[in-house]
Amino acid sequence: MEPDVSIESGCMIRIAVLPVGDMPRSNMRDYVSMLLRLNKIELSSISSFYTEHQKSPFAHQPWENGSLRFKFLVGGAQPSAWEDFQSNRKILGVIGLCHCPSSPDLGAVYEQFQGIRKAYSSALVEKCFAFCPSDSQVQLEDGGKKGNNLILFPPADRQTQEFHIQTMMQDLAAALLMEFEKYVLRAESAGTILKTPLDSQTSLGSEEVIKAKKRRLGRAQKTIGDYCLLAGSPVDANDHYSTAIELARLTGDVFWHAGALEGTVCALLLDRMGQKDQILEEAKYRYYDVIQLYRRVPTVSFELQAALKLARFLCRRELAKEVVDLLMSAADGAKSLIDASDRLVLYVEIARLFGNLGYERKAAFFSRQVAQLYLQQDNCWAAISALQVLAMTSKAYRVQSKGTNARSHSFPNELRLSHLEGGKLNSQSIVSLFECQWSTLQMVVLREILLSAVRAGDPLAAWSAAARLLRSYYPLITPAGQSGLASALSNSAERLPSGTRCADPAVPFVRLHSFPFYPSQMDIIKRNSGKEEWWTGSIPSGPFIYTPFSKGDPNESHKQDLIWIVGEPVQVLVELANPCGFDLTVDSIYLSVYSNNFNAFPVSVCLPPNTSKVISLSGIPTSVGPLTIPGCIVHCFGVITEHLFRDVDNLLIGAAQGLVLSDPFRSCGSTKIKNVLVPNINVVPPLPLLVSHVVGGDSAAILYEGEIRDVWVCLANAGSTPVEQAHISLSGKNQDSVISIGSEILKSALPLKPGAEVMIPVTIKAWQLGLVDSENSTNKNLTGIIGRTSKEGSSPMLVIHYAGPSQYQEEVQTIEPILPPGRRVVVPLHVCVLQGLSFVRARLLSMEIPAHIRETLPIPVYTDEAVSDEVPVNETKADCLVKIDPYRGSWGLRLLELELSNPTDVVFEISVSVQMEDPTTSDGETSDFHYPKTRIDREYSARVLIPLEHFKLPVFDRSFLPKETKRVESSYGKHSNFTERHSKAELNASIKNLTSRIKVRWQSGRNSSGELNIKDAVQAALQTTIMDILLPDPLTFGFRLSRNKFSTGPLDAQQNARSHGRHHSGEDGRTKVLNCSILAHEMTPMEVLVRNNTKELVKMSLSITCKDVAGDNCFDGDKATVLWAGVLSGIRVDVPPLQEITHSFVMYFLVPGEYTLMGSAVIDDASDFLRDRARTDSSNEPIFCSGPPFRLHVLGTA
Amino acid sequence: MIVCVAVVGLQNNPLYLQSFTEADDALKLHYIVHCSLDVIDERVNNPKKTGSTMNETFLGLLYPTENYKVYGYITNTKVKFVLVTTDLDVKDADVRSFFRRFHSAYVDAVSNPFHVTGKKINSVFFAERVRDIVKSFGTNTTV
Repeated sequence: MEPDVSIESGCMIRIAVLPVGDMPRSNMRDYVSMLLRLNKIELSSISSFYTEHQKSPFAHQPWENGSLRFKFLVGGAQPSAWEDFQSNRKILGVIGLCHCPSSPDLGAVYEQFQGIRKAYSSALVEKCFAFCPSDSQVQLEDGGKKGNNLILFPPADRQTQEFHIQTMMQDLAAALLMEFEKYVLRAESAGTILKTPLDSQTSLGSEEVIKAKKRRLGRAQKTIGDYCLLAGSPVDANDHYSTAIELARLTGDVFWHAGALEGTVCALLLDRMGQKDQILEEAKYRYYDVIQLYRRVPTVSFELQAALKLARFLCRRELAKEVVDLLMSAADGAKSLIDASDRLVLYVEIARLFGNLGYERKAAFFSRQVAQLYLQQDNCWAAISALQVLAMTSKAYRVQSKGTNARSHSFPNELRLSHLEGGKLNSQSIVSLFECQWSTLQMVVLREILLSAVRAGDPLAAWSAAARLLRSYYPLITPAGQSGLASALSNSAERLPSGTRCADPAVPFVRLHSFPFYPSQMDIIKRNSGKEEWWTGSIPSGPFIYTPFSKGDPNESHKQDLIWIVGEPVQVLVELANPCGFDLTVDSIYLSVYSNNFNAFPVSVCLPPNTSKVISLSGIPTSVGPLTIPGCIVHCFGVITEHLFRDVDNLLIGAAQGLVLSDPFRSCGSTKIKNVLVPNINVVPPLPLLVSHVVGGDSAAILYEGEIRDVWVCLANAGSTPVEQAHISLSGKNQDSVISIGSEILKSALPLKPGAEVMIPVTIKAWQLGLVDSENSTNKNLTGIIGRTSKEGSSPMLVIHYAGPSQYQEEVQTIEPILPPGRRVVVPLHVCVLQGLSFVRARLLSMEIPAHIRETLPIPVYTDEAVSDEVPVNETKADCLVKIDPYRGSWGLRLLELELSNPTDVVFEISVSVQMEDPTTSDGETSDFHYPKTRIDREYSARVLIPLEHFKLPVFDRSFLPKETKRVESSYGKHSNFTERHSKAELNASIKNLTSRIKVRWQSGRNSSGELNIKDAVQAALQTTIMDILLPDPLTFGFRLSRNKFSTGPLDAQQNARSHGRHHSGEDGRTKVLNCSILAHEMTPMEVLVRNNTKELVKMSLSITCKDVAGDNCFDGDKATVLWAGVLSGIRVDVPPLQEITHSFVMYFLVPGEYTLMGSAVIDDASDFLRDRARTDSSNEPIFCSGPPFRLHVLGTA
Repeated sequence: MIVCVAVVGLQNNPLYLQSFTEADDALKLHYIVHCSLDVIDERVNNPKKTGSTMNETFLGLLYPTENYKVYGYITNTKVKFVLVTTDLDVKDADVRSFFRRFHSAYVDAVSNPFHVTGKKINSVFFAERVRDIVKSFGTNTTV
């Protein structure tokens, strides 16, 4: 069997084309290509070379329109056993090709040619074409004896050379024609013995010899017919064939009969050239006869060949069914072919014919059979052939290498288009996804490609096949198989030069994870050219991070443009997945950018089996312009491949639709992410870049609540253009805690040149813990705050908007100057607030100092010569803290007690200062009064007492009472509400006034100090205690000596003192102690005064008690030391509202010393109001009311 | 005997392929089914314009190969059914009725709300039913 046969091949003259001498491949290809074009020589063109030696046997030679056809067998061929049967199988001519520059010795070349041509015994004509000889070679040859057989072609351009070759071929054709004539004449006269391998099997019996003689004539006629066809004379051929058919039929020479019949069809075609359709039916009919005849011949190959010839003849769409039948039966016949190469040829032909018919799957199937036959031959060349054949099939099975894909990946424009299309897939890729499901077949084909590539020693093809196999079918391959493929990849790569690129990516799968937009340190803000505050309006304003109005359709958000800056490194996150069962080492991976304005930095990654990893790939844009990132360049398994994001996206879409075997990312446990679209990236000229760091480290400053600290923020311009504008603002939580920002320092440092830096002080006061969190809940109960550490994100942030010059430095020639964008840097002031001193409680305390009984009631008139012998306070301003309580009648001292606890592990020192109005200055100037420091050890609490001096009481009035006594509030009705509210407000105001003047500063260690913000807490705490202290008693008791006489209206004086002299203390009385001293053994007349502070009449029984220093009652008992006259107990008196009564009595002290007098009363028929004041519940319980103690100093008489 | 039935989707993607031979020739049957798509494509793209065959779903004998005969059927949604048999004399009527039953089984299978169109048919019930239809293929002639 021979490849590439057709019905017309009966008229083709075979010429072996052989390289002679040293023939460089490229030259050989050149010369052969020139030769191959001359496969048809017009008879008319050779007439000049033709000389008729005797009468031509080709009587009907069509000299006008006929032609000789050639079939060039480059490299020659073995002589066929069947060449007697089909003369066209003979090699009738030999052409040697010689490239003179590489074979200088033409003599040797010719010798070699002569040697070669001896192998072709059937050759009638031989020529050796020597190209491009040198002058010396030409001269040598001129004198040579090689005759006409060595033809020199002088160096010339291709056209000239082609012309020369054509001429030589015409000469050769004429020579052949003459040889054919000679042969035919000889064959007609003498006859030759024509044999086929079939004949040799027959035994040569006498009968057989006679039969053979008869047959010989027919066979000779057939052969003559063959030569007529070769000579281009179909009419002559037909004549001879007809004779041959007759003779063959008579002699029963079936084989030759079929051969002659086949010849007639060829002659018919040749004769009726260009009218194929008209003779189609006839040719077909005759050819089926041929096939029938061949079927009776023992060897099957002629039948198959005839079937193939017919199929090729019929091969067109309309006759597809017929052709398919022919081809399928031919394919079935392949089994009976013994010779493997015959089968190979058959399959090749079937595959080609199916391919011509458009049945690409069938063509692929048979191609694969061809490849398998090739692979059965255990040699490299067969493997290469197998590889090539399989490569052709790969298209039909949709496993073709991307490198062979017509749509090369070197068109960035197209890529960009497809990215712009968004998620749309072109139909091509969809179809290929669908076809991917013939995985069983595809894997087999790829495996065979791999096998043949390994055998053929084509490492790149092997790599590519293994890569395709692994990438597409990893779920169907066992881990062991995957490792095998991995080692196949590595082994192939070892044979490849380093840096080899392959169009087919292997693993890992690479998809785009995200484009990290600029970190907040490097935000780019579009400048609003119209405004002074150029950053406003460019970012969504308002309280919401996401405003539904600022952005349009969320679907369009992916259209967002990304701005990259020349010279500033950028990052892109990609996700790699290794779904295979081996450790994958990616030697390097970097972004692939076609636009040549990006320097990508390679990264190497190692992926354990079945894992995915998100890695960040970085690079630096190098020049201005648009930039596209279609994928990554991966250097893995020794070969460089490009992994396009688009491919993986398609794959994932396919996986989502169930078209692809598996989603590599999901099988690696990676979560599904939204399809990330590559934004339009634009590279802009350099901008300034401020880099900030907090001096002393960017880590959080640990501050105690209320601590004040200066933080220095260092801003450096890391860009290449100066910063010309800058503006600092605050954002984030706890903005209040930033007390001051040194923005003037920044302003004065402008323009900040590249590389320059500036330090800005920022003063921070640590905020209160818990206040932020619990501000919604009631803030009254602040005592139970549990310490909380600073949460992330609660720190304030400095936002600095800055911009470079308003025009680009190297001005891009544009119609309007573009305002370069500004930038924003966010400096988080990391503050970690620890719970510091905490405020536990505040109370208002009062301290009583008993008054001395003397002739007058103590009248608090301020005197400069106050002598302190009773109150242990300094006689400075603290003196004035003690004063007479007008409703108690005794000396009182008010103290504010703050209870602070220190839950931390450091020591705090507290210093309290009260801002005081200086009583000596009338213009209300204030001065601070500092109390000594209090130290609070760790995990202890301490109380700080603050004496209150100027605590202003509200104007006292009955209406003040009910507001505290809420239970009786209802009885007072609405009319009291106003006054009640009024006085409450007044009270609150006074408390606020007080608390605002108290500052509690603390210090801990050397450098942390702060202020405790306790205003609100104190205020809240005081509300509860203040009433007990400030509310007047219902009754005021007072004692005085009535030795001289009754002073008039002592209480009036008292009231006067109270009304205008709040700050006065009644120290004056003490100076008169000596003047009105009480002596023992003397009658001492005294008076007790009881004042009713209520607006109701109070009935009571008054009692007076006297106690000595030991606290024993001096009136009663066995050892009574005091004698008395008058009533001292059970005195029933009625006190009218806001009036006072006096009751006189006389005492006689037996023993000198200190005594204490106390008045007390049991109130009868107490009103609800009084009961409430006394905090009693039962209505019949008597209300007991006692006054403060009064002291008496009794002097001895001696 | 039926050796293989296959369902091939709109995009020539295999949806179901089941062989009924003991021999390990699944790959060969894959190839046969795959190759038959050529003929189906050709018949679908170049329909004979006669009115009676316009709506014909049965494509008839696609091609004989080796010992097999391959029959085709195409639904109105362009889903193809391929039948590979070793019987040499098969009545067209048998094949038609086979395909009709197979078609209804397929319709039932893809009517499953959990089935995703375009995905491979993994229904056990469908496989069971197909096995029954295949089993009753030869016996149907006597009925």
